[in-house]
Amino acid sequence: MAEKIKDAEDRLLESMFEVAPVPDDGFSALIVRKIRRRLWLRRLAVPTATLIGGAIAVKPLTGFLIAASSLSSLLPQDIVNSVVALVPQAQTIVLGAMLLAACMLGLRTIED
Amino acid sequence: MTDRDDHCDDHRDDQWLVARIVSDQDTTAFGELVRRHQSQVRNFLRKLTGDIAMADDLSQDCFMRAWDKIQTFSGRGSFIGWLLKIAYTTFLQSKRKSKRYAEILEQVGHVTEAESRSYAVQSDEVIDLEKLLAVLSDEERAIMVMSYACGLSHREISDATSMPVGTVKSVIYRGKERIRTSFDIKDHQHG
Repeated sequence: MAEKIKDAEDRLLESMFEVAPVPDDGFSALIVRKIRRRLWLRRLAVPTATLIGGAIAVKPLTGFLIAASSLSSLLPQDIVNSVVALVPQAQTIVLGAMLLAACMLGLRTIED
Repeated sequence: MTDRDDHCDDHRDDQWLVARIVSDQDTTAFGELVRRHQSQVRNFLRKLTGDIAMADDLSQDCFMRAWDKIQTFSGRGSFIGWLLKIAYTTFLQSKRKSKRYAEILEQVGHVTEAESRSYAVQSDEVIDLEKLLAVLSDEERAIMVMSYACGLSHREISDATSMPVGTVKSVIYRGKERIRTSFDIKDHQHG
């Protein structure tokens, strides 16, 4: 109220507007609990979504790679040979990449 | 130490807590801020809504929003001023929502309870303050409460309500006039 010049009416109004303070009664603890829960949910959301997305994506991605390998007749033989050698391991590579990403995010969450 | 010095120390303490929250996402520091200011925020919303349960729900929303937007607190004004701005916005949004809800109910032919949400004092046992607030519009009530119950300066109220300082002053003047005519306060002015 620094900039206001209080007159008798202002003081009267202040006294009329005066009310007893509201006791905390666990209100602040409730807010903190809600925020902590929300933070945890946010931190868990990304690794969980990565794992689920990865699990869903593994099969179609592998299918796509296998289908792509059937086009090998159009490519020079030495390139085809190296790709064909990789294709049987594609599922493992994709799964490994997903797990690595999930582990990195998990580690970051623990660090936080 | 004077009240003004205490106010400045509180302000600095609040800023220190805000800095900790922004840098470390420190929920304990935020809990301390909530503990310090919950009474003013809850009282402010209780006076605006006239409903304790609704006011406490809105207060929770207000503090959750404050957590989300804490990095936007510039530290120029007081923390309580910034908090009351969020509380006032939360109140206005909730009022708009309940108005829309009432319109939908009306369209489908239900008896609306929306009017009961507005500040109406019917009981014979209402306290003086409630009678006082009942004669004011939402805007006047919010500004008068910020000024006389929360002790915010005109500048802080202007920041909280996004109104020019001149408008804040004229709303306070209008509110005082309304209270004066409704309750014959002139007689007690110098008493």
